[in-house]
Amino acid sequence: MTKLFKILLLTVIANGQFSIFNFQFSIFTCHAQTLNIRMGSVTYQFPAAQAGEMTYNGGQTLTVMGKIFTLNEVDEMKVDGSEVKDNTVTVAYSGTGASVCVAGNVAQYVEPTVSGAHVSIDQTNTEAVDGDEITYTLSGTTTDGEFALTGSYKCSVALDGLTLTNPSGAAINITNGKRIKLSAKKNTVNTLTDGTGGEQKACIYSKGQLHLQGNGTLNIVSNTKHGIKSGDYIAVKNLTLNITKAMGDGISCNEYFLMESGNVSISGVGDDGIQCDLDGTTSTGETTDHDDEDSGNIYLQGGTLNISTTATATKGVKAAGTLFINETSDTTVLTVTNSGGTDTSDATDLSASACLKSDQAINISGGTLTLTNSGQGGRAINSDGTLTISGGIIDAQSQGSNYGSSSGGGGGPWGGGGPWGGGGSSSSSHKYAKGVKADGNITITGGTLSVYSKNHEGLESKGTITISGGQVSVQASDDAINSAGNFTINGGQVMGYSTGNDGLDANGNFYINGGLVYTIGKSSPELGIDANSEAQKKLYITGGTIVAIGGLESGASLTQACYSSSSWSKNTWYSLTNGNETFAFKTPSSGGTPLVVSASAKPTVKSGVSVSGGTSIFGGMGNISPTTTGGSNVSLSNYTASGGGGRW
Amino acid sequence: MRRFFLLLTVLVGALTAQASEGSDYPYLTFETTDGAKASIPVSSLTMTINGNTLTVGDQQFTLTNLAKMYFSTNDETAAGIENVNNNDNDNYIEIYDLQGKKVGVEMVNGKSLNGQLPKGVYIVKTKEKTYKMMVR
Repeated sequence: MTKLFKILLLTVIANGQFSIFNFQFSIFTCHAQTLNIRMGSVTYQFPAAQAGEMTYNGGQTLTVMGKIFTLNEVDEMKVDGSEVKDNTVTVAYSGTGASVCVAGNVAQYVEPTVSGAHVSIDQTNTEAVDGDEITYTLSGTTTDGEFALTGSYKCSVALDGLTLTNPSGAAINITNGKRIKLSAKKNTVNTLTDGTGGEQKACIYSKGQLHLQGNGTLNIVSNTKHGIKSGDYIAVKNLTLNITKAMGDGISCNEYFLMESGNVSISGVGDDGIQCDLDGTTSTGETTDHDDEDSGNIYLQGGTLNISTTATATKGVKAAGTLFINETSDTTVLTVTNSGGTDTSDATDLSASACLKSDQAINISGGTLTLTNSGQGGRAINSDGTLTISGGIIDAQSQGSNYGSSSGGGGGPWGGGGPWGGGGSSSSSHKYAKGVKADGNITITGGTLSVYSKNHEGLESKGTITISGGQVSVQASDDAINSAGNFTINGGQVMGYSTGNDGLDANGNFYINGGLVYTIGKSSPELGIDANSEAQKKLYITGGTIVAIGGLESGASLTQACYSSSSWSKNTWYSLTNGNETFAFKTPSSGGTPLVVSASAKPTVKSGVSVSGGTSIFGGMGNISPTTTGGSNVSLSNYTASGGGGRW
Repeated sequence: MRRFFLLLTVLVGALTAQASEGSDYPYLTFETTDGAKASIPVSSLTMTINGNTLTVGDQQFTLTNLAKMYFSTNDETAAGIENVNNNDNDNYIEIYDLQGKKVGVEMVNGKSLNGQLPKGVYIVKTKEKTYKMMVR
């Protein structure tokens, strides 16, 4: 019996069949019958189990599952074993043609029109469709085709290895105004190209909300306007999206833009990388789960985003609302390069380029950001409102030249640095290539911010600056850090290194209440720390550990005692020890005098030390709690900042 | 023996499961407006329309006479001409095709007709009754 069992088992495995007492059995799947009704390039597929009674009427029509066929338009009907998945429409492009297959249960809701490889579908279903929404699966290759969809209900479009060019319009054009899920199926590469000189708004256009997703790849080449455009919001998840060319923006949308994960690369664009505008006239602000949100906000919450823009006055990421950058379930890696110059077409309203731009506010709480702007007058970060940093690792560089000439109180290497100190402001006649600029207040409570500005200020606020945490390192040719209003340091680690003006400059009062501050100002009349004493403003030091090369604003209120050395050695490691805490700092190749230090108690300062271990900060010019050896004590005198500081 | 019946049980179970999922419909049944039915095996069945004629495999239907069609699990075609006999006090029958064309007149002598007619559905009229039947 064992032998018989084995033989029987092997037979079943090999053939899927076995016979007992002249009865033949098969254990393999019996394919269900499917009635296929073909009209031109469109085939409607009705599974036998669903078809039910199919009624003829007067020899003119045949109705199957609610779909009415005019018999003289039917090319063929046949029954085969085709597998039919409910709620699906497949479009297979092949050269100059396309074949459309419609599942029977949605046949009455789908009206395809096929002309060559141009497929247009009018979708009329509503909530009445049983189960999920209709999924359109597109595949194949054509150099003259399109997929257009009209209707009034949400649906999904799945790209399953599609290479499509439409020389006369958009590659995909969806005007139903509803939520569309556009996915690239896993392990597929899909490339869409639109036509040149057309009227389409984008290579992929959706009038309604657009979810870009899927674990496949989607490549976009746009020859008329935007790469991808939605009249409502766009959300990106998992997708690998490469926009390699667009005459307009890479991605343009309204309401809000959300990136949760994925890999998005945008380059070769004629305008912004990603732009989000308000749909209406009044912002809802951020809403719970973004329900009915119309804010113009951009949310970068995960994934890798690489953007390169080159055109004049373009923005890598531009939000009409608030730009939020953080990390949720996935890490956020954002790299933006911009080489666009300043738009001078309107002499009264110059517009500079920026890596990140918001009309309202920028809020960074996570992610790794590398922002580089080499355009004339360009900025790495530009907020028309506030800038708030509570996390993340940010490297922001402005390497371009300034546009135009300075005016009024302009400072810096080409402005001569007048009594107002640094902080020349852009006006109608010029655009300064600042590293990070906010028209509103700047608040930093965490994260690591590194800023370099080759030809102007590094970090500037037209309001106030408040730093209470994190690490801020700024190097600039003008003021390293400048506030139009008050400047307050309560905590964190702050370095301002200016090669041409003040290290840290407040046009209002300057308050240092805590934290670690290392500042380097140019030689007199520039300072290490400058407050606007000319306007009866003052520097107040009540705490913190401070090293100021170039001295302090005259008339400073020094509740915490300060000490100074009239000279210092260039390019030399110093150590400052207060109790059990040591801060090592490397001096620059040039700077002002004196060297002023302050701590909770009179610190011990040594020059020429060797540094090892510890935690490197300030771009390698500082070290927390290192092991220091050698060096020689620096003689410190009481410092009063009266009528002096860097001004003698 | 135990293993054999165990295998048999598993295989029958699989067959049962497949049967319930496969929903096998071996016939496509056509019904005309007068109630006649013709079931045609669906294996690789192709249908074409030419004017008022629907050709289904080697069968033809007049579209204006068709009421509906449906997939069926059984052959629902009416009985053949062999069921006619002379006990109905008829001595002849008239035979019409579905297009209404008279295709023959036969004398009934107590013998079953051998069905010289081609396969298809016909209307058989006797003096007393009218039959719808299928020649296979």
